[in-house]
Amino acid sequence: MTKQIELSGVNKYYGAFHALKNIDLSIDKGSFVALVGPSGCGKSTLLRSLAGLESISTGDLKIAGELMNNVPPRKRDIAMVFQSYALYPHMTVEQNLTYSLRIRGVAKAEARKAAEEVAATTGLSQLLGRYPRELSGGQRQRVAMSRAIIRHPKAFLFDEPLSNLDAALRVHMRKEIRTLHDRLGATSVYVTHDQIEAMTMADHVVVMKDGVIEQQGAPLELYDKPANKFVAGFIGSPAMNFVPAVVGEDGRSLAVDVGEKQTIVLDRQLQPGRKVTAGLRPEHLHFVEPGQGVFRLPVGIVESTGSATYITTSTVAEVTIVETSRRPVRTGDVIDVSIRPADVHVFDGETGLRV
Amino acid sequence: MKRLLSSVRDGSGFDIVLVALPLGFLFLMAGLPLLYNILMSFQEVDMFSLGTFLRPFVGFKNYTDLFAQPETWPILGNTAIFVIGSIAGQFLIGFGLALFFWVNFPGASWLRGLFLVSWVMPGLVVGAIWNWILSGDFGVLNFMLRETGIISGNIFWRSDPNYSLYAVIMANIWLGTAFNMILLSVGLASIPGDLYEAAELDGANAWQRFWTITLPMMRSTIGAIVSLGLIFTLQQFDLFAAITSGGPNNSSNVTQYWAWDLSFRQYDFAKGATISVIMIVFVMFASVVYVRSTRHEVRG
Ligand SMILES: Nc1ncnc2c1ncn2[C@@H]1O[C@H](COP(=O)(O)OP(=O)(O)OP(=O)(O)O)[C@@H](O)[C@H]1O
Ligand SMILES: [Mg+2]
Repeated sequence: MTKQIELSGVNKYYGAFHALKNIDLSIDKGSFVALVGPSGCGKSTLLRSLAGLESISTGDLKIAGELMNNVPPRKRDIAMVFQSYALYPHMTVEQNLTYSLRIRGVAKAEARKAAEEVAATTGLSQLLGRYPRELSGGQRQRVAMSRAIIRHPKAFLFDEPLSNLDAALRVHMRKEIRTLHDRLGATSVYVTHDQIEAMTMADHVVVMKDGVIEQQGAPLELYDKPANKFVAGFIGSPAMNFVPAVVGEDGRSLAVDVGEKQTIVLDRQLQPGRKVTAGLRPEHLHFVEPGQGVFRLPVGIVESTGSATYITTSTVAEVTIVETSRRPVRTGDVIDVSIRPADVHVFDGETGLRV
Repeated sequence: MKRLLSSVRDGSGFDIVLVALPLGFLFLMAGLPLLYNILMSFQEVDMFSLGTFLRPFVGFKNYTDLFAQPETWPILGNTAIFVIGSIAGQFLIGFGLALFFWVNFPGASWLRGLFLVSWVMPGLVVGAIWNWILSGDFGVLNFMLRETGIISGNIFWRSDPNYSLYAVIMANIWLGTAFNMILLSVGLASIPGDLYEAAELDGANAWQRFWTITLPMMRSTIGAIVSLGLIFTLQQFDLFAAITSGGPNNSSNVTQYWAWDLSFRQYDFAKGATISVIMIVFVMFASVVYVRSTRHEVRG
């Protein structure tokens, strides 16, 4: 695998504010990378640094093997899809698509042909003569994408491209973008604050927080082996339950503190007496017949979506359970809950790092 | 009566009242004088018939007489030079300054505000200042041109027929540049920054971005400014009164000053009105361009 984008030791300061802290990231050619993290963590800053719209303060940025630190955006051969789309309002769809070609001096007929080809693949053929103000949000989004595609750039950058669309269209465009990416054999970096988008679309997910990469890896790797409490809580929906716990005398059980102490068995050996946090994914907790569970929990709130029932307990450290069976449950019930030992995540009580 | 009252309070009657008040005011203060002016241009007016309304009707005699006068065409020519020169100067310098301040260096907005001083000053004061600058013997302009070696002898800007019109144009450019700059600055500021970022990523250099993004996005602003400029320069009277009084020998005379001169110094009210009517046609044209350009604003 050749590396299309490489960042090593990249730092970015806005005055005294340290927006990106020692970013190391390498992106394979042809891969789809998602940057996720809470608002203000530096996702856009990182993306704009790749594009050259922000200059990095220290460190190296290479695109296709060439050092790009001081190369202006127009010479980086990178396309970006903005959250606002940034379509040229005074140009028709066709002119928007062919802008980059016309700037490069491509002949009119050739540019037109390219626009028609791209429009055919993105379903814009009927709209080439319209102005952006005459398009719906979803259509504008397609124009923004097509404008990037037509250039065959070294990499595509997306900054929350779907956040202005409604939920159904978002799910649809998610697949469409990924399909396009595969067909073009493109290299894409996709910023989102929606972990579902990141998990479903990307080959490689980068979780950021406060300008630091907390963890990066394949989506399931992040889900199965979150490096710390932050990643564990961020990846997965509904979020992972965290309950304080102490490792038992034998080192193979956890005394979990959910109102009253309850014990769950572990499949690994830990230092006895160590204070930890147990991470239990709602979908790994199962509501079972009385007497068969590993612990008993009082039911607080019950919400049903039809496909699943969300049970929130009335314990001090709230625990959420996702149950797909239609077994009746009411507020005030005390239910038996089981979890497989392998599904129990354990984090250090102080550092929050995975144990 | 009750229905009428309630309609005024919360029905369409309220809208009509709101529209009628300014329209009535406009008609009274601008419409009637305009009509009266047009009427006068078709009448024979002298000192004795001034007070009356119905005066002898003479058809297009005032118009034919006017164009038979030898000074008419030169004055119309002067007006064209004045309008085009002033607008071009004001616009180009104003645009240059607006682009300069757009870069947003420290103190840019403060300095830009300072430029408005020229616009706040009354024309007569500006005229007086330029009288000093332009003065033949001790004027700053001559001093600078002499010191830089551009001219060898003093130019008598205000009394040399070859230069008098350009003296007023210079003063008018100075007067109107700030207004142009402010409107153009507003236009520039309203262009979303991400368009430039998108264009930059699309490979456009600064010059290409200016031609393909800035200028087209500014089209309505530019149209508005040029047509407002046409209206303002056709109204410019103070500077002529202060600097050259249209002289020497009509060499810097323009229609607006001439109309006043004919009406109130030579008491030929009919001719003054006739010139005004000709000017109204031009201003109307400018107004239509103005209204059209603001209506066709590009919205993203
Ligand atoms: N031009 C700037 N000057 C100073 N600080 C900035 C600037 N741009 C961004 N920041 C700061 O850098 C941090 C990261 O911003 P960034 O836009 O990258 O966040 P983000 O992860 O994209 O958030 P969001 O999900 O809300 O878009 C924020 O704390 C922000 O306040
Ligand atoms: Mg952002």
